[in-house]
Amino acid sequence: MKKLFMVLCVLVIASTLVFAAGSAEKPKAADGGLSGKLVIYTSMYDDVIEAIDETLEKVFPTIDIEFFYGGTGTLQAKIAAEVAAGKLGCDMLMVADPSYALELKAMGVLQPIMINNAADLAFDYDKEGYWYPVRISNMVLAYNPGKFSKADIPNSFYDFAYDKRVEGMISMSNPLTSGTALDTISALKDKYGYEYFTALGQQKVKIESGSVALTKLETGECKVIMILEESVLQKREMDRSKIEVIYPTDGTIVVPSPIMSINDQWSPNKNSAAAKAVTEWFMSEEGQKNIVKAWMHSVSSKYPTPPYDAIPTKEILKNTIPVDWQATVTLREELRTKFQEAVAKK
Amino acid sequence: MSNIIIKDVKKAFGEVVVLSQFNAEFADGEFITLLGPSGCGKTTMLRMLAGFEKPTEGEIYIGDQDVSSPKNFVPPERRDIGMVFQSYAVWPHMTVYENVAYPLKMKKMGKQEIKKHVEEVLETVHLSQYAQRIPSQLSGGQQQRVALARALVAKPRLLLLDEPLSNLDAKLRDSMRFEIKEIQKQLGITVVYVTHDQMEAMTMSDRVIVINKGVIQQVGAPTEIYRHPANQFVADFVGKINFLKATSKDKVLTLAQSGQTLPYEGPLKGDVVIGIRPENIRLVSIKGDFEGTLVSKFYLGDVNDCRIDLGGELIRVIAEPTTFDVCEVGQSFNLRIDEFTVFEDTGEDEHTKILT
Amino acid sequence: MRVLNQQAPLKQEKHRWFLDPKWLIIIAIVGFLLVFQVFPLVYLVFRAFFSTGTFSLEAFKRVYTYPLNWSALTNTVVAATFSMIFGVLIAFPLAWLVGRTNLYGKKFFRTLFVATYMVPPYVGAMAWMRLLNPTVGSMNMFLQKIFNLGSAPFDIYTMGGLIWVLTGFYYPYAFITISRAMEKMDPSLEEASRISGASPLTTLRTITLPMMLPSIVAAALLVFVAAGSCYGIPSIIGVPGQIHTVTTRIIDFVYIGSQEGLTDATTLAVFLMLIANVVLYLSTFSIGKKQYITVSGKSTRPNIVDLGRWRIPITALVIIFALVVVIIPFVTVALSSITVNLGESVFAEGNITWRYWERIFTRKSIINSARNSLVSAVMAATFGLLVSCMMAYLLVRTNIKGKKIPDFMITVGSGTPSVVIALSLIMSMSGKFGINIYNTLTIMVIAYMIKYMMMGMRTVVSALTQISPSLEEASQISGASWLRSMKNVTLPLIAPALVAGWFLIFMPCFYELTMSTLLYSTNTKTLGYELYTYQTYHNQQTASALATAILFTVFGINWLLNKLTDGEFSI
Repeated sequence: MKKLFMVLCVLVIASTLVFAAGSAEKPKAADGGLSGKLVIYTSMYDDVIEAIDETLEKVFPTIDIEFFYGGTGTLQAKIAAEVAAGKLGCDMLMVADPSYALELKAMGVLQPIMINNAADLAFDYDKEGYWYPVRISNMVLAYNPGKFSKADIPNSFYDFAYDKRVEGMISMSNPLTSGTALDTISALKDKYGYEYFTALGQQKVKIESGSVALTKLETGECKVIMILEESVLQKREMDRSKIEVIYPTDGTIVVPSPIMSINDQWSPNKNSAAAKAVTEWFMSEEGQKNIVKAWMHSVSSKYPTPPYDAIPTKEILKNTIPVDWQATVTLREELRTKFQEAVAKK
Repeated sequence: MSNIIIKDVKKAFGEVVVLSQFNAEFADGEFITLLGPSGCGKTTMLRMLAGFEKPTEGEIYIGDQDVSSPKNFVPPERRDIGMVFQSYAVWPHMTVYENVAYPLKMKKMGKQEIKKHVEEVLETVHLSQYAQRIPSQLSGGQQQRVALARALVAKPRLLLLDEPLSNLDAKLRDSMRFEIKEIQKQLGITVVYVTHDQMEAMTMSDRVIVINKGVIQQVGAPTEIYRHPANQFVADFVGKINFLKATSKDKVLTLAQSGQTLPYEGPLKGDVVIGIRPENIRLVSIKGDFEGTLVSKFYLGDVNDCRIDLGGELIRVIAEPTTFDVCEVGQSFNLRIDEFTVFEDTGEDEHTKILT
Repeated sequence: MRVLNQQAPLKQEKHRWFLDPKWLIIIAIVGFLLVFQVFPLVYLVFRAFFSTGTFSLEAFKRVYTYPLNWSALTNTVVAATFSMIFGVLIAFPLAWLVGRTNLYGKKFFRTLFVATYMVPPYVGAMAWMRLLNPTVGSMNMFLQKIFNLGSAPFDIYTMGGLIWVLTGFYYPYAFITISRAMEKMDPSLEEASRISGASPLTTLRTITLPMMLPSIVAAALLVFVAAGSCYGIPSIIGVPGQIHTVTTRIIDFVYIGSQEGLTDATTLAVFLMLIANVVLYLSTFSIGKKQYITVSGKSTRPNIVDLGRWRIPITALVIIFALVVVIIPFVTVALSSITVNLGESVFAEGNITWRYWERIFTRKSIINSARNSLVSAVMAATFGLLVSCMMAYLLVRTNIKGKKIPDFMITVGSGTPSVVIALSLIMSMSGKFGINIYNTLTIMVIAYMIKYMMMGMRTVVSALTQISPSLEEASQISGASWLRSMKNVTLPLIAPALVAGWFLIFMPCFYELTMSTLLYSTNTKTLGYELYTYQTYHNQQTASALATAILFTVFGINWLLNKLTDGEFSI
């Protein structure tokens, strides 16, 4: 009995140590001049990160790049807490919401990085180099043609909230945690007013992440969902899913998600050289190719190929609902609160 | 009040047989004790009488009613039995009064009537002034009497007692023994009493059933059991006894070691075992049956406990207290045997090893 | 003589004050708890009232006049109350059937119901979402088909659904508490009732039930607090249906990220803490005194009630219950983990895949999280057990005056809702008061210890209580030193309890979610949080694979320990 106990203890402790030791390994400094650690907070899905992470490892074998994912809202909370504590946990940020870049720039935590191909960008960028758009996420609608016909479901954001045929069978992301969802409700509020939120509430919209919503489309639990185009495309390519994108007739909401670096005062690893290299890579043709491979649209006018199964970026840009980024920053609390009040059960 | 018939009852838990071929008949108003070492099956028999266990085979009748047979089984609550448990099982969330009133309430008796009966029985067990107490405020002896009152209050036809005195201290045990016997006489109720204490069995019972390893060894009145034990187990379990190996030939018993002899009229021949109770041996100066040397003596006040060597056999003798002053260790004595029993020598010593 | 007798120990006492290591142990434990438990909680309350620097009820007014918060408060109370009621209504009959009747397969059922105790509650939420969603829930569809219903009979995204899942995963708490008490009850108390003329049912009603009442109340309160402070289930089941509870609101408020959000979270947390503390007080300090349960000296085998002709129907009922509440949900989760398209049958062509399983063993972030969870759970369990052992020794073997203080503090810690502990640690341990352990595994380990140490302590205490001190004394009298006696006599005797205690702390820490959700950082994400993110964010099949893997691990460890310790390890 006693022996057994000892053996158990030893086993447990040993396995813990083995695990712990595994993590302690650090890549050695390389001859390329770039080295050290680089932590990137991002709101991309883990499948996407996994793919990009692998590529980055090949491109920058000497930099220890670590991704930490969470919804934009989650990351914002984290950053707020970290700012209050006086130190950030990340060297770079790749969150979804462009408006957050404006706020961070104003807070003075960002590091300007000048890239040489900024002129090729098809979207707005910070002229001082504090942030660049790096990937295009499009908020669209999606449905499952295996279960419902396109004619029987809303084809516009407006109908999404007002078409009673889909009451209780629609889903969208939570603007509290998701940046693109926040941008979306900001744009829809500008277009349709706060009544739109009330309508969503009366439509009994489910609030959950895109992947959960996609599963619900597959099972038929939802008829139509508001979701990022890339999630649908990924599902189509990876799982051979039949779920289809509907580009809303009242306009797609286009979110050019930014890439930013933290300045040495706030960053944990003070690795601005590496940050610059990584930023340049993402903005390069090679980087953009990987973005498109990860089912998002390129921000570069030089790289017009759309991701798998998507319509060309130009087509999408013909019909959009614009987002007022500055207003999204200033009204963030209000938007979130009003939205929650409108959709929550009383 | 009624007679009880137990017919060919057998009980097994899975493969393990704890009671085999139990046959007995108890008369109305009789005080019966089931006596045996723990694990002998006596409690199991009691629990089958109560209806907590179902016999594997056999039939039980209480007052001519078939309460347990292959085709019929009456659950405990419909057997009209009172029972006192070893742990008393007095319900801690009820007052003494409520505890005792419970069986009557189950009979749906009226409130006034319950009150009358409960007060009566509490009087009998001398607990009247404690009626409103809760059990945790009572001593062990008092709790025990609550249990007794509860068992008696509904005037059951049979009272079962499962080692009720084993958790009490020696003094209290003495007086409770007396009290229980008094109450039984007063009410004329049939009692089945389970114990491993031979003193309790001797003093209270009309008849004793000695059980060992699930088998009845002997049934009889206390004196009979004591003076004429049916086998070595009974002789040894009830009281103290010396066992001496001997051979029986021509109406003479010859001790195996010392070769001393004893006249014998009984029927057994060949290898035998003689059982002699220590108090049936007297130290005399002349005309003894055996001769021996005093090896040790202990003064116990009322008697002396002596060991005497017969020249091979060592025997225990309970002698008069006066011997302590007169006798010396090493001194030789004549021993007179007043009474003895002869058993066949089965070659086994197991019965002398008692599991308690 | 008397005077002498009184003075001698007094002198010793004085001497001891400075040297006795027992005092050092108490001071160390109390110090640890003061810094990491009492101070943060007090600061939390302080923050709620002094959010602006001066005393004000502003925050309270704002938080509690906000309709959404009100509905969260009522939702929490309603959900916890009903889960408590149903939990006990399920647990008591089950405990009775398993412990006191001749139900078929009692042993198996007992193991099964106890084992559910070790399952992370959010796994249940994941399963029930799949089974009972109103449009295509597979159980709903099945019921619809066989009863020919026009619409789905159940909707999981409702208060009823929330209560159902909470009940299904918290009734084992009540089951274990009640069966333990039932096992300890002297069976002759019930037999005395039977022989007095009461039928088995009357006995159950008039004797068993009232005798068990203190344990039942304790069990009920346990379920109430657990259900009321649960995060995983309401966030998976409740939030999509817009049913918020205090816990989900608190975490939302923290996620809003502003100082105001933090204040609001604090204010709500104070409410949760208040409820939990009142309940704790009720169960430990008032009802605890009315414990009737007495261990009988020589207990016979419990009186087994013969169910008679009801034996088969009741067994069937229990089987259905086990199927519905335990087996079907687990199987659902396991099957989800190998299904590509959850809209189709698993067995549809090309729909089975091991890709998600492969993923959980290859994804860097999952492996990292598993390592973090393993390390922090091992540390929490080891340190927790160490404290437990010292506490057990102090409580059982010494008469030191202050020994009840750390005991009380540990009890309060385990009764405090996880979310409150985590929030208070965040606010006080991020450097504001000289200690900055936020974003480290240390804060995780400390939070786990505060929450789960008591389980270990109780186990060790009860084991040590059963060992007579004379056994140690016998060893000392034989010439062994105190330390040797401990090692040679006491330790081997309580070893099974130590193993059990260690795992009782380890298991819940290993898959902990609520506290981790608030305390994790870049490098300290835990398995529970990882699974939760996969479930609600990335990919539900991967989450299912992870959950199934955790289930296997938990059951595997349980089974292994049971085997290795010859059944001595059991909870």
